Amino acid sequence: MISAHNVKKYFGNNKVLDIASFEAREGEIIGFLGLNGAGKTTFMRILTSFLPTTCGDVRVCGYDVAKQSLLVRRHVGYLSEAPPLYPDMVVKDFLRFAARLKDIPARQTPAQVAKALDLCNLNGVASRVIGQLSKGYRQRVAIAQAIINDPKLLILDEPTNGLDPLQILDVRKLIKNLEHKRTVIISTHVLSEIEEFAQRVIIIKQGRIIKDHSLAETPEAAGGAKLFLKLRGKRPDIESALRVMPDAAVTAMTGDDEARAVELDLGKGRESYNELIEALLRTQVQILEIRKPSPKLEDVFIRLTKGPTKEGQSV
Amino acid sequence: MKKTGILASKELRAYFTSPIAYIVMILSLSVFNVLFYMIIDQNREAVLRDMFLLMEFMFVFLAPIFTMKVFAEEKMSGTMEFLQTTPTRNSEIVYGKYLSSVVFFLILLLLTAPYYAILEFFSSPDVPAILTGYLGIFLEGAFFIAIGVFTSALTRNQIVAALSAYVLILLLYFSVGLEKFFSGTPQALVHYLSVMGHSKNFFIGIVTTADLIYFISGIFLFLTLTRIAIENRLCR
Ligand SMILES: Nc1ncnc2c1ncn2[C@@H]1O[C@H](COP(=O)(O)OP(=O)(O)OP(=O)(O)O)[C@@H](O)[C@H]1O
Ligand SMILES: [Mg+2]
Repeated sequence: MISAHNVKKYFGNNKVLDIASFEAREGEIIGFLGLNGAGKTTFMRILTSFLPTTCGDVRVCGYDVAKQSLLVRRHVGYLSEAPPLYPDMVVKDFLRFAARLKDIPARQTPAQVAKALDLCNLNGVASRVIGQLSKGYRQRVAIAQAIINDPKLLILDEPTNGLDPLQILDVRKLIKNLEHKRTVIISTHVLSEIEEFAQRVIIIKQGRIIKDHSLAETPEAAGGAKLFLKLRGKRPDIESALRVMPDAAVTAMTGDDEARAVELDLGKGRESYNELIEALLRTQVQILEIRKPSPKLEDVFIRLTKGPTKEGQSV
Repeated sequence: MKKTGILASKELRAYFTSPIAYIVMILSLSVFNVLFYMIIDQNREAVLRDMFLLMEFMFVFLAPIFTMKVFAEEKMSGTMEFLQTTPTRNSEIVYGKYLSSVVFFLILLLLTAPYYAILEFFSSPDVPAILTGYLGIFLEGAFFIAIGVFTSALTRNQIVAALSAYVLILLLYFSVGLEKFFSGTPQALVHYLSVMGHSKNFFIGIVTTADLIYFISGIFLFLTLTRIAIENRLCR
């Protein structure tokens, strides 16, 4: 579906993108993660053939983005960073216009528009002027525009940017509802969004892919599972109980005898902690709270992007 | 080229959903009406020649207002990225936008047809001269619009687009006055570039191939430059 090799993009002398290799298969849902200015939008613009690369070979649906850009664009649906909308247009007129520009024959246009309105829950506002809609609805119109011609590749640049939490849930549901036969690429800062339905997450930093992470594998690979305890009791008792798990490391211990918060790293590959509970039950220590925060991709992301990462380092 | 029509009709509808179209039309027609009355009152001749000269002068100022938003607004709002990621050729985008502005201009011109009707009613005007006059004013307006479309493609700021169109159009319009600073070939060039030198023949009923070529090649030159500008994303 997509293959990109040795792609570099310079703005003047400023290298903003350097992708050694990126491939995507049909039907894959891929998240692009990265901080502001990482190069996500630039990469997406190259995939949609909006921006030319400085050098490199990019093929989408088998077509070269530089030489066969019209064919590429026929198969790609794109929601750009700034929702591309004409504020003076009526929703369904705009969708009709988008459909016609995307080579949908006049006969099929009404059906395609109706389908997009349905999918994006826009039937109630189909006759309203776009400029008068709320931001969330405008975003849906922009998404409807992107899916109007059933593209084989759907590229969404920060689809939930600037929405309130309810609207984010709405848009997320919408994206999930799209038939997943197509390849979808989503960029976002809201990591939980990607975790939920992406099969693969690409972390981009300073224009490079620093992690290509399949969500089929557990995030534990990136570090041990964490355990959070709140205990009432003497510190030596707690420490002796903790010794039954030699692999576990205490990452933080705060508070006093009344309420002591303990954070543990269970160690690589460990998930259960029965013996620790048994050991605690044998002491005078009271257990106030046990929590196992599910290891978040977010942690991985922050760890990978925050510190100075050496070029090309694999994590 | 089917897309050209789709784009043009969308653009034209946009012209008429914003109040600017009506304001421009009402303002220019009011000015034309007053001038028409004054000219006829003074000349007592059944010709529109002086009327055309005044319209020409008005369009120098109106054309950039028609065209300033054509591309600048799309860039500002990010819809240019939408247009250029649909399977639409850059030339189709340019022609579609240009066509809509020209049709809008044509509608404005047609609204001055009553002047001819009035002349016809009271006397027997020189019909061929009026027709060639309209052809001339149309070609000239279409040329100015091509210039305005081009400057709009170079910036995302509508004011900058309009001002740079004024600079180009006024240079072409007043270049007659600049002629005396040159001699020899440069003078001939400045003379050739002057729009007024080419439009005045139309107004007195003369159509020459040279004048037609001047306007038509000017239009294509600026439309091609526009295409190159948006193709190479000279301004995003
Ligand atoms: N037209 C341009 N001219 C010059 N530099 C640019 C241009 N567009 C982007 N850049 C630079 O390229 C880098 C990557 O920008 P890009 O928009 O791709 O980042 P991003 O990952 O999408 O960030 P964000 O999360 O803020 O959207 C930035 O440093 C930006 O300044
Ligand atoms: Mg971005």
